[in-house]
Amino acid sequence: MVKWLNGSEILLESLRREKVEVMFGLPGGAVLPLYDAMYSAGIRHLLVRHEQAAGFAADGYARATGKPGVCLVTSGPGATNVITALTSAMMDSIPIVVLTGQVPASVIGKDAFQEADTIGITLPCTKQSFMANSAAELPEIIHRAFRAAVSGRPGPVLVDLPKSVLMEKAEPIFPSRPIDERPERPREWNHDDIARAAEMILESRNAVLYVGGGVIASEASREIRELAELTHIPVTTTLMALGAFPSRHPLSLGMLGMHGSYATNQSLCHSDLLVAVGARFDDRITGRVKDFCTLAKKIQIDVDPSEINKNVRVDHALVGDAREILQALIAELKRQAQQGNSSAPSARQEWLLRIEAWRAEHPLTYDKYSAAVKPEFVLETISKCTEEHAIISVDVGQHQMWAAQFCSFTHPRTWLSSSGLGAMGYGFPAAMGAQMAFPNRQVIAIVGDGGFQMTLNDLATVVQYHVPVKIAIINNRSLGMVRQWQEIFFEKRYCDIDLNFAPDFVKLAESYGIRASRVEHRTDVVDAVRDFLSDREPRLIDFWVDPAENVYPIVPPGASLAEMVVEPPRVLVEEESLDDLWAV
Amino acid sequence: MQWLISLETENDPIPACRLLNIFRRKGVKIGTFNLAAGAHGFSVMAVVDTPEADVDHIFNFLRRGEGIRHVTYYRHLQSEEASFVFIDSSADSSVVARFTQSFPESKIVFAGNGKYLFEVLREKGAAKFVPDFDKAGFLPFARVKTTHPHSRTELVGASAQ
Repeated sequence: MVKWLNGSEILLESLRREKVEVMFGLPGGAVLPLYDAMYSAGIRHLLVRHEQAAGFAADGYARATGKPGVCLVTSGPGATNVITALTSAMMDSIPIVVLTGQVPASVIGKDAFQEADTIGITLPCTKQSFMANSAAELPEIIHRAFRAAVSGRPGPVLVDLPKSVLMEKAEPIFPSRPIDERPERPREWNHDDIARAAEMILESRNAVLYVGGGVIASEASREIRELAELTHIPVTTTLMALGAFPSRHPLSLGMLGMHGSYATNQSLCHSDLLVAVGARFDDRITGRVKDFCTLAKKIQIDVDPSEINKNVRVDHALVGDAREILQALIAELKRQAQQGNSSAPSARQEWLLRIEAWRAEHPLTYDKYSAAVKPEFVLETISKCTEEHAIISVDVGQHQMWAAQFCSFTHPRTWLSSSGLGAMGYGFPAAMGAQMAFPNRQVIAIVGDGGFQMTLNDLATVVQYHVPVKIAIINNRSLGMVRQWQEIFFEKRYCDIDLNFAPDFVKLAESYGIRASRVEHRTDVVDAVRDFLSDREPRLIDFWVDPAENVYPIVPPGASLAEMVVEPPRVLVEEESLDDLWAV
Repeated sequence: MQWLISLETENDPIPACRLLNIFRRKGVKIGTFNLAAGAHGFSVMAVVDTPEADVDHIFNFLRRGEGIRHVTYYRHLQSEEASFVFIDSSADSSVVARFTQSFPESKIVFAGNGKYLFEVLREKGAAKFVPDFDKAGFLPFARVKTTHPHSRTELVGASAQ
């Protein structure tokens, strides 16, 4: 016999059936019935201090686990505060499910207290949205919401829940779960498509594998490595895909694009084949589109047909799950190898040597003789001191680019970054979400002093719930990336970038009960980082870095990758090299 | 260039809203927009003026979306290769009757608010459809891409993929 439940109870049971273990949220009037039902529901809930943090935490949870992150907010301002997180998840194809309260159905459209047209507002920043009209339909809606979030190209899904629906009673019928719960992905390719891709790879001499976030979404890191090693093709990863291929692998080219290394961008400019896997040729990657990889034939592998030819026209496209396609491609290349048709290491030796020469010509480096605390050195030190499976969550700006350049990644899902939208304030709450998924792993939020001031109110949350996130502030007392652009592209007409009027982050953290320290001298960096990472408590460290430091290399806006500016002019001073500090 | 986009959705009008939002953001010039509600969902038909790259992207964007059953797009083609005809009967209600008398085998693809899309079916060996309806209210089209699994896709023009 089916038991009568109210909408809130039905919703929570539906979430349990989707194996939801934790939610991030903030209650309010419209969701009070749901919070009442949660009193004894057994699903963990983190009370954040702003709804944007709930959305970012759900995003961090999803990026770290691959499972949908869930956030719960009230109607009106609760829902509007989560828009940035939804948009970021939409841009980066991150599966989150956002539950928003709504005013009772009888007053929708009547400008009721805390009413907002949430479905309308979120139309362009959700993969799908649902308006619940009755309690009875909640099981089906929640089931569909979770499927939609992870199927095809993953993305954010929103469910709007009128208070009346949360309170009304119904006899729920819960949908049965399929035995195979792998996300549904389109498959628009056949053997001939694979054979053609294999042929293009075998014909190439100067190929590059261009790997994007889709590789992480489809869990295809192992296949990328196998393909690279089988064909001896070097691999470059986008900002989204850091960790999809080991940074220290001999075939790793690191990040490409606006702040990619000289060797990486040169290899793209001179490649004869570009194999894009789960990557969308965005403007930060291509530079001036008409000059992007003009010598190369292009293969694009993507789960989303609307990405094919969207920014750059390709010669061959395969639409489907990246892992499935790569597995088929590897099998075909092995079959060809058995017939004596393979990419012998010698065939690409010349290409790999050219790349090495570019690397030697302009390595990714910084001024190691500077008296100031160099942010690159801080990030390199953090990377060297972290555990192998540590998760790095970054904000947006200069520190994000330095982290991408100077931290090493071995495993997928260890790098969290609001990449497409570039939402400042992301790093800290996303780290909190990842830490909730993996309480025993090291999770480090690397933030700028600008972005951190947008979401630092959740310091209270990590203390309240004993979330041992480490927070490293790369503090240059300014909006550094904006300052850099004003310096280089706007003739040093600095306007509204000064953040000297900021709280004392050490005292602020301590006021929340968090151990904190400040580093102002380069010789203190290594010991401070070791101490910072030595326990399982939330900690904050405030690195006062060189405020004049800029991110190099840089491809100026509107320029091609070939026109990148490699490094700033150097002023040599007599200082002990930072490399020597490692001997201590 | 003129295109006709048709969309069949599940019982939620959100995909139609998304389509209108895309038109607005991309600055697509809308000639006709029709939405018809059925028992199991909505049918949308829009005649628009936009570059080919845009319409192809819209097609791919829509077909990967949730709540969408089928998407098709057609290219305006003033030649005998056209096998679809869009008729706007709002000015002259007799045009539909005249058309169906001339092409009794034709199949209605969409009908709503005085707007029709017919597929001009011909028996084997019969003369090709000649779009001599060079009058207001008639627009011949050829199908470029569709997600209907059993529909014939006619690739029109070298750049259509």
